[in-house]
Amino acid sequence: MLDVDGLTTRYGAIAALRSASLHVGSGEVIGLIGPNGAGKTTLLGSIAGLLSPDAGTVRFDGADITGAAPEKLLRSGLALVPEHRRIFVDLTVEENLRIGGITVKAAERADLLDEMAETFPVLRDKWETPAGYLSGGEAQQLAIARALMSRPRLLMMDEPSLGLAPVLVDLVFELIERLRSEGRTLLVVEQNAHRMLEVADRAYVLRSGEIVAEGTGSELRARDDLFDTFVGGT
Amino acid sequence: MVELAQNLIDGLGRGSIYALLALGVAVVFGVMHLLNFAHGELITVSGYAAFWALTNGWSWWIVVPLIVVVAVLTSLVIERVAFSRVRGASDFTLLLTSFGVHFVVSAIFLLYVSASVKNFPRPAWTTSSTWSLGPLQIETFDTVVIVVTMLTLLATNLLLQRTMFGLALRAAAADFDTARLMGVRSDTVIRGAFALSGLLAGIAGVFWLMRAGSTTPSAGIDPMLKGVLAALIGGLGSLRGAVLGGFALGLAEVLLRSWLPGSIAGLTEGFVFALIALLFIFRPQGFVAVAHAERV
Amino acid sequence: MRPETITSSGRALTWPLLGAAALFAVLVGGGLAYQGLLGTGAAERLVTVMLIDAIVVVGIQIYVGNTGVLSFGHIGFGAIGGYVFALLAIDEAEKLKRIPDAPFGLVGVELPPLLAIVIAVGFAVACAFLVGLGLGRSGAASGAVAATVITLALLFVTHEVARNWPDLTGGDRAGLAFPIRGSLDSRLPIYGGLLIALVVGRMFARSRRGRLAQAAREDDLAARAMGIDPLVQQMLALLISVAVVVMGASLKVWEDGSILPGDFFFQYTLVTLVMLIVGGRNGVTGAVAGVIVMTIGRELARRLGQDGFEVFGIGLDRAPLDWIFRENLQTVFLGVAMLGFMIWRPAGLLDDLEVDDWLRRRFAPADGAPAPALADAAMTTPSRLSVRAVDVRFGGFQALAGAGLEAGGGEVVGIIGPNGAGKTTLVNVLTGMVEPTAGSFSINGRELVGQPAHELARAGLVRTFQNLRLFGALTVEENVEVAALVAAEHHPDRVRQEASALIAHAGLWEHRHRRARELDYGNSRRLELARAAAMAPTFLLLDEPTSGMSDSESVAMVAQVKGMADAIGAGVLVIDHDLAFITGISDRIYVLDSGSVIASGTPDEVQANARVKQAYLGSAAG
Repeated sequence: MLDVDGLTTRYGAIAALRSASLHVGSGEVIGLIGPNGAGKTTLLGSIAGLLSPDAGTVRFDGADITGAAPEKLLRSGLALVPEHRRIFVDLTVEENLRIGGITVKAAERADLLDEMAETFPVLRDKWETPAGYLSGGEAQQLAIARALMSRPRLLMMDEPSLGLAPVLVDLVFELIERLRSEGRTLLVVEQNAHRMLEVADRAYVLRSGEIVAEGTGSELRARDDLFDTFVGGT
Repeated sequence: MVELAQNLIDGLGRGSIYALLALGVAVVFGVMHLLNFAHGELITVSGYAAFWALTNGWSWWIVVPLIVVVAVLTSLVIERVAFSRVRGASDFTLLLTSFGVHFVVSAIFLLYVSASVKNFPRPAWTTSSTWSLGPLQIETFDTVVIVVTMLTLLATNLLLQRTMFGLALRAAAADFDTARLMGVRSDTVIRGAFALSGLLAGIAGVFWLMRAGSTTPSAGIDPMLKGVLAALIGGLGSLRGAVLGGFALGLAEVLLRSWLPGSIAGLTEGFVFALIALLFIFRPQGFVAVAHAERV
Repeated sequence: MRPETITSSGRALTWPLLGAAALFAVLVGGGLAYQGLLGTGAAERLVTVMLIDAIVVVGIQIYVGNTGVLSFGHIGFGAIGGYVFALLAIDEAEKLKRIPDAPFGLVGVELPPLLAIVIAVGFAVACAFLVGLGLGRSGAASGAVAATVITLALLFVTHEVARNWPDLTGGDRAGLAFPIRGSLDSRLPIYGGLLIALVVGRMFARSRRGRLAQAAREDDLAARAMGIDPLVQQMLALLISVAVVVMGASLKVWEDGSILPGDFFFQYTLVTLVMLIVGGRNGVTGAVAGVIVMTIGRELARRLGQDGFEVFGIGLDRAPLDWIFRENLQTVFLGVAMLGFMIWRPAGLLDDLEVDDWLRRRFAPADGAPAPALADAAMTTPSRLSVRAVDVRFGGFQALAGAGLEAGGGEVVGIIGPNGAGKTTLVNVLTGMVEPTAGSFSINGRELVGQPAHELARAGLVRTFQNLRLFGALTVEENVEVAALVAAEHHPDRVRQEASALIAHAGLWEHRHRRARELDYGNSRRLELARAAAMAPTFLLLDEPTSGMSDSESVAMVAQVKGMADAIGAGVLVIDHDLAFITGISDRIYVLDSGSVIASGTPDEVQANARVKQAYLGSAAG
């Protein structure tokens, strides 16, 4: 479904991403793990059109979408839940969800709103509240629900458990588990590697802007050299 | 007391026009971070259109919609020709680009029309007609301006709150990149903002031109300055603040003019500017503070 | 290690002075050649106008170029100065004719023009001081855009007052005028003014204040984190620049022989701003180049508008081009030039290239000086940083919850934790970028919570940034020198290393004359560290110093951090996610998770701690 080949992205002198390649098949849940500063966010941003890559290609269902505008990518079925959630704090919960569904027809949007209210009861309780008043866990659910409003075929999430208390981290992974059971295709950046490896079909390991390993959870866990990537020389 | 009430009504009438101009400035600032020094040019161009139409014998009934349409189209053309090329540029570049647009537009009229003032007839009711409310003599013109402005602000509010376009505009103003991630088309929302800004300027322009009865190549400077200053004293980026700022500016002008002794009445504008400068020293963020987050 | 050795005032000014002289020679020489060639009065007049414009544009450049704040108001100050000059210099008989009712007994005043210029400059500078106060406050609160609008408003105030106070200014139509043959008939004052403008412009750019202003222009946040208060530099730049502009404006009035409100309004603002941005606003050379190019361009446009192509004797049929070759073509030309440069080349023709830099590179012998070494650190009294129960909330997000730590001078303290644990927020609190919701922190018992960023930096808390924030247009040497200048002012008592020794220690000696934006990533990181060390901090706060570096680079960084800290006798707080790096460098470690300290101790203790593993590996790994 998604094929990334030799993607390189620079910020001035910094090559934040060096020739990264990955593949996401339909219905797969793929993890993207690695330490802070490894280039994970840059990789997602370069796929989603927020950053323009300096080299390499991104193909989605065979079509070349390298460097396309994010609003165009969303219409082709590719949605991103950005890092730090980036919900619209002055807009109400409902308005945030509506914006998420701006690309679908009005009738369908109304159905989707009902669906989200059902799936995320905490949001239904704060339907008319400005999103700035939500707690971290609620805000993360809103960010994910907002992305689901566009009926994406591939959902990318950037650090969904960032800054959440452990009980809420559990909730986020339950949510990923549930989306997976619904048969959705996910590409998830996570620093919480062990949790991610539990829910992912496969994962890619990034370090210093390069993809250094790829495999299933058990394959990756078996490799001691990768353990160092996360924990350091213990 | 009566005089004060009279002044307040005058101030509201004047402030209404400024509020419409400031709101247009604020809408564009919201989505593009562009403080549009060319905003007054919408009225310059509309003014020449009105001049042409009226001297060709058109009635004001047709000229009113013409002014609005010309303002909207001019706004869209300026966006297309100039501002679309500097999206995301530095504040410095954006400011000078809009300043440059202002000069090119006025220079074109200088080149192809002339530097002289072009007068056109004003509708009779704008100058002479009044009605009384108890001891107050209220100009029909002020009444119309205030009523139309209130209706326009109400409609704009509905547009922003109730439509998908309004929602997209507010989302884009809050976080442009994330709005695009949600599928908000940057072209649509920016052009929409310019169209709305042009529409508001067009309505303000109708009243402005009815009151002035003339236009010149540099006619846009005054409305631009009023709109930009009102948006700034309201708090840059805040739509509510811009409207408030417009009314405050109108009231300040009228009240100062009536209080200042006749010998220095000509300096009213100077005093208004001085007041604004004082306001910025004591409340530098304007009436309504808008958070400008900066990532470290 | 006196401050003079850092600024090395004597020799460093030779080149800028040479540069100013070269620019003077080009302007005057070119002008004289042109008028000699044509020999007409019109040509002479054009050159005079160009020279005066050059003074005004260089004056505007001093503010706009060094601070990066766009000003529309300088011509307004020019109007103030121009009127003061005219009121003082015009003789009594003429004033009796035009403004017999002038207030303040001005009718009787009659001063020599040069003295009048001095007073005009003084008066306008005093006005600029008042305006500058407002500019600074609004600029600090809502960015440079607000400051720009205020300058625009100023332009209008002066214009309105000039038009509506006829007793003083002669009003809109009559204005003020010198009697026939009373106006300037020699170019000497203009030459003098131009030379002063160029020298002041180049000297200010090279001066201490000038470089601090440029640092703030390049990165406001980093400048404040270094202890630079941008408002002070902006104010100084404003005053100097207004002085130069008013000098030019007075000469313009003197030369024109009259002043009307419209002389110093939108049109002249446009002319001078276009000249500035076409050449390149960040340099005096750019300003001068813009004056020359736009003077030529405007003259061509004017003549084409008047006479069409016949000017050049080509004798083209003009009729088909009538729609463009019309009177007032030069105004369109100016507007289009402004738009075009903003859209396609916003930095101008020359950007910030200075003629003296070019001359130096071309003619100065290669600087083969050996890299100096760091001096031995003297013993300093140990400092103590205490952070107590700091809370930070953003909306519904609790970034820090009761975080606290202790650090001593001469100690390297590591702070580690997963992404989102609050590490960077903690640094932001300690450097005044984020105000804590609760809690406090102090150095040696001095409470610091709530102080602005530049005050905290001066108190000794100096940081580096996770995403590099160097002063890109400044050279490596200048980046470090700017920091050293601040330190010399605020910490005369602290151990300071020579800027050059720090550069050498960072391994940047051969790159010292390159601009920071030309460095690669590793060198940029090292420069940021050297710059922070030059601040003579009591505590150096390093936010992810190895992010984006390879393993071998990280190891080298460890040595460099330790060497720097020892040399300046500072305590170090290092934030990193990489446990290997932190354990290798730190004496003690704090582990942060979800905004709270969950463990602390020596590297060995921390690595053995079960909660740390859990925080790091996720709850499943427990």
